[in-house]
Amino acid sequence: MAKFLFIYRESTENHPRPSPEEMQALQGAWYAWMQKFGSAIVPGGDGVKPTGRVLKAGLVTDGPYVEAKEVVVSFTIIQAEDYEEALAIARACPPGHTIEIREFAGYA
Amino acid sequence: MSEPRVLVEHFFRHEFGRLSAVLTRSLGVRRLDLVEDVVQAALAQALESWSRRGVPEDPAGWLYRTARNLAIDALRRERTHALALPRLAKDEDQESSPPEARFADEIGDEPLRMLFVCCHEAAPAESRVALALRTLCGFSTGEIARALLTTEANVQKRIERARVRLRELDVDFDTPAVAQLGARLDAVLAVLYLLFSQGCHVTHGDMPIRRDLCDEARRLARMLAAHPGGDLPATHALLAMMSFHGARFDARVAHDGAIVLLEEQDRSAWNWNDVREGMAWLARSATGDELTRYHLEAAIAWEHCRAPSFAETDWSRISELYHALERIAPSPLNTLNRAVAEAYSHGPRAGLDRLSAVPPEDVPARYPGWHLVIGELHFRLGRHPAAERAWREALRLTTARADAEFLRRRLREIESATHRETPDKVGGTAINDELWERERVGYDPRPT
Repeated sequence: MAKFLFIYRESTENHPRPSPEEMQALQGAWYAWMQKFGSAIVPGGDGVKPTGRVLKAGLVTDGPYVEAKEVVVSFTIIQAEDYEEALAIARACPPGHTIEIREFAGYA
Repeated sequence: MSEPRVLVEHFFRHEFGRLSAVLTRSLGVRRLDLVEDVVQAALAQALESWSRRGVPEDPAGWLYRTARNLAIDALRRERTHALALPRLAKDEDQESSPPEARFADEIGDEPLRMLFVCCHEAAPAESRVALALRTLCGFSTGEIARALLTTEANVQKRIERARVRLRELDVDFDTPAVAQLGARLDAVLAVLYLLFSQGCHVTHGDMPIRRDLCDEARRLARMLAAHPGGDLPATHALLAMMSFHGARFDARVAHDGAIVLLEEQDRSAWNWNDVREGMAWLARSATGDELTRYHLEAAIAWEHCRAPSFAETDWSRISELYHALERIAPSPLNTLNRAVAEAYSHGPRAGLDRLSAVPPEDVPARYPGWHLVIGELHFRLGRHPAAERAWREALRLTTARADAEFLRRRLREIESATHRETPDKVGGTAINDELWERERVGYDPRPT
C-alpha cells in the first residue's frame, strides 16, 4: 500500500460566496465522501487557516503570497494501491477544489 | 460507529438568519456587513469541521459559539486598531466593558427584532424584501435574484441601499415602541405578503410556485404572531390567507410543472391540515375593529377552500369581498378579480361590463392577465375573433412559461370551437384561477 498526499487548493479570485443552502449540501457531500473512503483515509488530515507566515532566506513575511492564484486550504493523507486508485478517490470528492496528488517517497 | 447525525433541511439557512439576528443585537445595526462576514465564516468553519468529524451533538450551539468567538476576535482587532489611532481612542474609553459582556447567552426575540429592522420604513420598499431574504432567511444574492426575478447586481444594490439608510439613521435593534409599531408593522406585513406572493405566482420562467419563498414568509409570519408586538388581528389574517393558499400548492402544479386550474384541481389533494390552520387563524383574526386587506383576502381564499366543488363556489360572496377589497386597496387588478367573480355569478356579460367601466388610464394594458380575462369573457359569449385578439395580446406580454402554454392551449380551442356549438353556460371553460392570486404582486420586480 502506498500513501498519497491530497493537497486541496482554492482559487483566490473573487468568486461568489456559497449560500448557506449550498454549504449544507457540500457538508453532506464531504461527510459522505469521508464515510465512503474511511478505510483509505489516514488520520491527520485537516484544513489550514487562510493566512500564515513564509520564511525565505531568513526573512519572514505574511503568507501565502497575495498574488498567488490558488491557496492551499486543506490536505488529506490517503492509502491506496497506486495512482489509479488514488485518482478514483480524488474524483469522488465534492467539487470546488484543485486537488494535487503526490505519492509519499517513504524516506521516513 | 454511531449513526451520523443528519442536519434538518435548511439548517444552515435558518441558522444564518438566527445568528445574524443575535449578532446584530451585540454589534449593532450599523455593523450589518460585519455581522454577515462573521456568520458566513462560522458556517464555513462548520462546513470544514463537520465534513470531517460529522455533525456535533448540538449543531446550533456549536455555530453560535463559533460565531460569537469570531465576532469577539473581530471586535478585539478593531480595538487594537482603535488604540493605535489616538483620535479614535476617545471612543474607546466609553466602552470600558470587555466585548464579551455585550454578548447575550440566550437567543430570544432577536429574529423578530431583525425583521423589524429589515422592514424599517426608512429603507426603500424594494430593498426591504431583499434585505430580509438576505439577512433573515439566509438566501445568497444569486438566490434572491432568481426569487425576485432581477439581476444579482440589482439585488446587491438594493441591499446596500438599505444598509446605508439604516446606518445613516442609526436604527436601534429594538422592537419599536407601541406608538411607532403601527407604521412599522404595516411595512412588516407588506414585506411578508410580498414575499409570499412572489412565491405564489412566479411571473417569469419555469417554476409556477416557489415553495421556499412561501415557506419563509409563513415562518416569519408565525414568528411575528408568536410575539406580543405582532400578535394582532392583521397578522392572524395574513397567516390565514397564507394557510389557505398553501393548502392548494400541491394540487396547483401538475407533474410536468404546468399550472392546474382551480376548476380542474383534485380537491381531495388539498392539504387539509393547512386549511384547518387557516381556519384557526381566521377565527383569531376576527377581533378588533380593523378590517385589513389581509382579512378580505383570507376570506376570499377561505371561500375557495370551503366550496365542495368549483361549481358550488359562492361567487356572489367572492365578488362582494373583492368589491370591499377595491375600496380598501384600489387597484384595477382587484376590479379584474371582481369581474371574474361576477362573470361566474351573473354571466360573462356582467364581467365585461365591469371591465369596460374601468377608465382607459387605469387599464393595466401591459398586464397579460387583463387580456386573458377579456379574451375568456368574449370567448364565452361566442365572440371568437375578439377572444383571439385578446389572447394573442396576452401571449405577447406574458413571460411565464406556464402562462404561455395555457394561452396556446386556449387559442387552439378557438380553432376547434368555431366548428361546434359554443356552450352558453358559465363555467363551461375556466377562467384562470391564478388571476386572483396575481394581484398581490404589487410592484414590478424587474430591474428598472
